[in-house]
Amino acid sequence: MALSAFFDSSRAVFSAAILLRAVFLVYGLFQDAYSPMKYTDIDYFVFTDAARFIAQGQSPYDRDTYRYTPLLAWLIYPTTWPGFWFSFGKILFAVGDIITGWMMFCILRSYHTMSQERALRYASIWLLNPMVATISTRGSSEGLLGVFVTALLWAVLAKRIVLSGFLLGFAVHFKIYPFIYAASIVWWLDDDRINRRGTSKSTTTVSFAEQIISFLNVQRLVLAACSLITFMGLNVVMYLAYGWPFLDHSYFYHMIRIDHRHNFSPYNTLLYLNSSPRTNVNASAQPSLELERLAFLPQLLLSAVFIPLVLSKKDLPSTMLAQTFAFVAFNKVCTSQYFLWYMMFLPYYLPESTLLRSRSVGVSALILWVLGQVFWLQQGFQLEFNGHSTFVPGLWASGILFFVVNVGILGIIIRDVQSKDALTGEQNATPVKKKA
Amino acid sequence: MKQRITYLVEDPDSFTPEQLEVKDGSLSLRGLKAVQEHRITFSLDELPTELRTTLKQWQELHIKWASLKPYTAIPPFTSRVSPGLHVSFTPHKSQPKGQLCDLLHTVFDPAAKCSSGTDADEVATPLIHADEDGNEKPSASLQYYSYLPTLNKLASFIEETLCPPSSTTCIEYATSLLEASYLDIDYSAPAPILTLTALSTPPPAGWTTILTSPHSIHTTEVGVLTHEPNPDPEDLAFAGFLTVLGPSAAPKPTRFQAPARHYPLSASPGLSYTARFTHPTGLHPTLEVSFDGKLEPPAESCALYTYLTLPSYLFIDKYQFADPLFLSAQNLVALQRVSGATDLEAPDWVVPQWGSAALFELAVPPPPEEDAKDKAAGGNWTSRIPLHLRYLPASPRSHTPVPVPWPVVFWGCAAEQDSAGNPFDRVNLGYDGAFGAGTRFMHVPPEASGNGTGELVSWIDVPVLDTSAAGWVETGTIGVVVCAFVGLCWVLFSDRGKQEIKAEKKKQ
Repeated sequence: MALSAFFDSSRAVFSAAILLRAVFLVYGLFQDAYSPMKYTDIDYFVFTDAARFIAQGQSPYDRDTYRYTPLLAWLIYPTTWPGFWFSFGKILFAVGDIITGWMMFCILRSYHTMSQERALRYASIWLLNPMVATISTRGSSEGLLGVFVTALLWAVLAKRIVLSGFLLGFAVHFKIYPFIYAASIVWWLDDDRINRRGTSKSTTTVSFAEQIISFLNVQRLVLAACSLITFMGLNVVMYLAYGWPFLDHSYFYHMIRIDHRHNFSPYNTLLYLNSSPRTNVNASAQPSLELERLAFLPQLLLSAVFIPLVLSKKDLPSTMLAQTFAFVAFNKVCTSQYFLWYMMFLPYYLPESTLLRSRSVGVSALILWVLGQVFWLQQGFQLEFNGHSTFVPGLWASGILFFVVNVGILGIIIRDVQSKDALTGEQNATPVKKKA
Repeated sequence: MKQRITYLVEDPDSFTPEQLEVKDGSLSLRGLKAVQEHRITFSLDELPTELRTTLKQWQELHIKWASLKPYTAIPPFTSRVSPGLHVSFTPHKSQPKGQLCDLLHTVFDPAAKCSSGTDADEVATPLIHADEDGNEKPSASLQYYSYLPTLNKLASFIEETLCPPSSTTCIEYATSLLEASYLDIDYSAPAPILTLTALSTPPPAGWTTILTSPHSIHTTEVGVLTHEPNPDPEDLAFAGFLTVLGPSAAPKPTRFQAPARHYPLSASPGLSYTARFTHPTGLHPTLEVSFDGKLEPPAESCALYTYLTLPSYLFIDKYQFADPLFLSAQNLVALQRVSGATDLEAPDWVVPQWGSAALFELAVPPPPEEDAKDKAAGGNWTSRIPLHLRYLPASPRSHTPVPVPWPVVFWGCAAEQDSAGNPFDRVNLGYDGAFGAGTRFMHVPPEASGNGTGELVSWIDVPVLDTSAAGWVETGTIGVVVCAFVGLCWVLFSDRGKQEIKAEKKKQ
């Protein structure tokens, strides 16, 4: 009872979320001050160093491994001021978390027509998640992306097309991968959606040209224009200010990078094997087909084409979850920070999901997802710190296993979204209400 | 061509003039226990044409090779470099692309990591040097290093290419290089001379040999000296005999003193250091530099340094060394300089440079309390330097062993006077350029037993992808990804979802 009273009050939930981050933040200050093992994420030192370069009138790319938009360094400019200001970035990221959670709450209330208590419960998947709070208070910028992406979702659902375009362009400028959402948002923005249902539903036979014309509706064109203008505008400004290094580090690096260091990606071992120079001893081995060069195909086909086309008209937020999940699972590089990218969509999908409705499916999915990582981490630890050559079979097998688990979960998500009635994305709470 | 051979007697008390005898223009030595420095100086026109044109590409070229075997250094030969082949050079402005790799592959090691044809600037890295406002500009600007256990290739190159067919002296000289503790090869365009300086420790029974002056050599000067204590702490003083070989050869007594850049560490006899990696090394090995003996600054102005020469498979993350808490936990004061391949992500096979060099200032134990002085005297002290390994190429074995030369350790102290004028002065050692002209170096010797097998090198077993067990990685990965993709497409495009909806509607 006390728990449901807690979730009844938005003030209580948000206070708890803020308190959680404040505690982590202060704890981090203590650990940083008294232990040579730092709480603060290494990336945070990269950001703050880059901000310092900016403050000295130099380029943020003078800092090695700064691979982000200069906007990020500008956003945390106050970290260059003396004293406590160093933590400004972490506070900004933590505040971003809270705002994201608040927008989630609003979306759940307005577009999933949830009760306040239910909406707060599901928003707490983000708000009271210790992993999310840790990542932002350690100073990783992934959480900040939550603000932009969730704002984008809210703007689209609220049919604020110009704002959506701006947010989409900004998010892509910030982190590239949100471009996959363009497909689902564009597909979702059909005339039926805009004019409410029922008006043009009777049309059965339309010519191809008519289909094209009806596809190119005002909303889609405005969204495309606004996002392109924002994206290109930001790029032009950044290029004029910081030149080639901006393009090189923010974009091209991510295109050509082959991350040899072990990570969760199923491709990892293969990339190491095939990028490594052939020594005389194994020169006689069969030449590789280098199929890993095509790794972007399944990834982009699923996340940017098939999933949006099949699912987005049924339930936009869950489609975005499925897209992100596919993008991360099939990516050539995958670290645990990427999991945050799809976690920000869980509150919209979980309420109606098989994962929650069937306890056995949900619990086993969670256990397998965690076990996959534990197995991989154990193998990674053996390699990294004990010097055992666990590349094959250990790391490879655990990477593949984790991939298979992810694909299984993705299959469940796709099935769940697919079984929803088209055009009832906003009201898909019906079957549950029936049960209740 | 001329040569200068200097013997520095190890124990002055054991030396008697009877061990030397001048007869018929030659000098014979009997059981002389002395360190030998053998220097040959060529003027450029005495060299074969090919070598001459090669040398002319450089403004400066300094090659320092040091043996893996520990040796006892006595003044004035106390300066040290890490074992292996160090090259520091300045190309001519008009010819920035020197053929360094060709030279190294032909003369020293055909397998040295140095891709010929590419820009020498890519293989070599900037030499660390004093700040812009520092007093001294280094004479060389770029550096290169390669792990090289022996001078076999150089010896056979000299025998085959440089020695006149009948010259046994020349062949003997080439062979003697195999026993050298270190070898310096210096060329400087303004001079234009080439010098080869080899340092050798005596055989167990001392040197017993007859030194003659071959026809091809204009002058051969032999010095037999002992190091003498002297009142001026910044000078080194020597006494002994100088003999110019030839028909009128006669030993001339001599005594001189000169300021020195590298000075013996007489304040802490018995002090030595050991370098080792903490086990397990993993992918982030920690280099431990431990001291055995009394570690006390020889003067107030002195600070303790270590200079690391790291082949490209190892690198330093300079950002790690910004935190004072972290530094003091490792008994470090600061990472003073780092130069070279410091990319934090690249695997070894995409790094064109030879590696990187780093200069650390080490923390020293706090001065012991007056009453506890005896207790602290023999204490142990360890500084730890965290390093990181790059990924090495996949190989048919699970681990690839890589050598890491021991760093050099020295006190850097302020000096009153310039060391110019010392006939044994040694410069371009890699680290000396990082200090101003007014610096005196006092070297801490490495532990005489080395890594346990009598070598100044530590090996790391780097875990690599074992290709003998990875035959199915490609098919396995592609197979799983394709199955996953097809399966997901099937879930997406199959009618099951729709059927279920229909079924549900029928129920209604």
